[in-house]
Amino acid sequence: MRLRKRLTRCLPAASILLVLCGIPAWPQNQTPPATPSQAATPPAAAAAPSLTAPLALKDANPPSSDDLAKGDPGGTLTGTVNDVAVSDAKKGLTLGDAVNQIGQNKVAINFVWTLVAGFLVMFMQAGFAIVETGLCRAKNASHTMMMNFMVYGFGLFAYWVCGFAFQMGGVGATANLGGTAPLSSEYTVNFLGKTWGLFGTHGFFLTQGGTYDVAVMVLFLFQMVFMDTATTIVTGAAAERWKYVAFAISTFFLGAITYPFFANWAWGGGWLSQLGANFGLGHGYCDFAGSGVVHAVGGLTGLAVAMLVGPRLGKYNRNGSPNAIPGHDMVLVLTGCFILAFGWFGFNPGSTLGASGNGALRIGSIAVNTMLAGCTGSFGALLYMWIRYGKPDASMSGNGLLAGLVAITAPSGFVNTVGAAIIGLVAGVLVCLSVEFFDRVAKVDDPVGAISVHGANGLWGVISVGLFADGKSNYGGSWNGVPGSVTGLFYGDPGQLIAQLVGVATLLGFVFAASFVFNWVVDVLVGQRVSPETELEGLDVPEMGALGYPEFVLKVHREQAPITGIGAAVEATT
Amino acid sequence: MKITGLLLAIVGWLIPVLGLSLTSSNAARLTLCLIGIAVCLVGILGVLNRAFLQNAIWKQ
Repeated sequence: MRLRKRLTRCLPAASILLVLCGIPAWPQNQTPPATPSQAATPPAAAAAPSLTAPLALKDANPPSSDDLAKGDPGGTLTGTVNDVAVSDAKKGLTLGDAVNQIGQNKVAINFVWTLVAGFLVMFMQAGFAIVETGLCRAKNASHTMMMNFMVYGFGLFAYWVCGFAFQMGGVGATANLGGTAPLSSEYTVNFLGKTWGLFGTHGFFLTQGGTYDVAVMVLFLFQMVFMDTATTIVTGAAAERWKYVAFAISTFFLGAITYPFFANWAWGGGWLSQLGANFGLGHGYCDFAGSGVVHAVGGLTGLAVAMLVGPRLGKYNRNGSPNAIPGHDMVLVLTGCFILAFGWFGFNPGSTLGASGNGALRIGSIAVNTMLAGCTGSFGALLYMWIRYGKPDASMSGNGLLAGLVAITAPSGFVNTVGAAIIGLVAGVLVCLSVEFFDRVAKVDDPVGAISVHGANGLWGVISVGLFADGKSNYGGSWNGVPGSVTGLFYGDPGQLIAQLVGVATLLGFVFAASFVFNWVVDVLVGQRVSPETELEGLDVPEMGALGYPEFVLKVHREQAPITGIGAAVEATT
Repeated sequence: MKITGLLLAIVGWLIPVLGLSLTSSNAARLTLCLIGIAVCLVGILGVLNRAFLQNAIWKQ
């Protein structure tokens, strides 16, 4: 039955294919049924080609075995009708085989696109690691790198156990991936006369609920690297004083609970995505690639942890005035920014979950928007710092690039290039203002600017969808179940801006609060902050047992913090 | 103080959410959203963070 539906859907495309191959899909002299009265008559259906009838292969001019034996240096003989999978070898190629191959080709293109985009996003972990490490002091290099390294493992494990199920367990079929139908169970409650999706219940361990499925695996990989991006943001905000065990527990919670819940509400068919269908607010909360879901979640969790652990020793004087604590390697920082900008081409264009069908060809526009916003973001930050302090600051230029990329992440699929450039420029200035605010007014110590880059600009990106979405995108005719294109306030739909603001309030009121409460509990149970002695010593030896840069070993006071673990083993052999 | 700040953040979230069913007017909903976000920010940065600053490590 399913095969029959699939074949029926593909019939028009197959007809076009046959016409191109010189085989008439309909008799030349027949008029296609157009009116209801005509449609009631059977002749058209009777004339439809049989899907099981063998096709005449000679019309496709397949290359002979002799031709193929000579090789194909020009690439004109490879990939022909001979490569179409045949379901019944005795019968030979049928129309059904041809249309099935068309469908599989579409899904294959989308699988490859989504996987490669996911691989790019995974590589962003390297970018985050060296940006954060470069912005920290050399005595904490190993600790900072190890947080960024193991965040991948801790987060992945938590997400595999339950995070993915909570997030995507009720998302339903994903058209571009040709399936994910087993992800069909969303826990909902009835409230205010509407149905509110809260979390998914299929996909625990990627086996429960029939989720041992190829399309589910592709979706898992892509969503997992997004979650890992959120978790790695937190390590920057709490760097140089965060106890490693507290970091491990906190990361597990973020990957298992906080991130998946908000991501379900935004992407998994949850209540935020249904604000359009339920309350008439545009297309509901729209976050194309995760300014809110990924970056604001990471940035706000970072704010919660940074508050709990407090500022680094020496960051503030007794009168509250801040001291600059420069990072140890600007080359690492800017190289990491470039790696992140490269990975962002997986982040945003990859979020179409395909390159074929349902408006996915917009990937070109999304990639250019991403590029432009990063450019104007670094430009805005550079200009601000140059005008205000007289020098074009390198680290803030890097943060400006990242801020522009963060801000364009949510709107990248819905705006034009002018909107993207403005969004990025605002982000570049906003990150500088935000860094100054947290540094001087709020006195929240954030060594790498993660709260400003990802938190503040994540929220700005969410809001900018409600302002700049131009109503030109069309991903299969609807978004979040609402027909038409996402349109912001500047293009005539104030409801979309309201939906985005509800999302902002949810990020502040739910994500921050949940992260704060959990990390507060961790603080009570195991402590979030290392001892002052450890902090002064540098976290590398006391926490990790080895220095990031062994040449600096003479600066370590062995009596206070003896080298342990692998570091001790290395010492013993030298 | 810390719990008050936390509660303010949560209340600020609930204001626009509950406001969705109170009115269908875009202007009213927009106003409720802005009020809610302001309450959230006051709770997080104005109350909760201030509570931490009272016993900040650099004052000790």
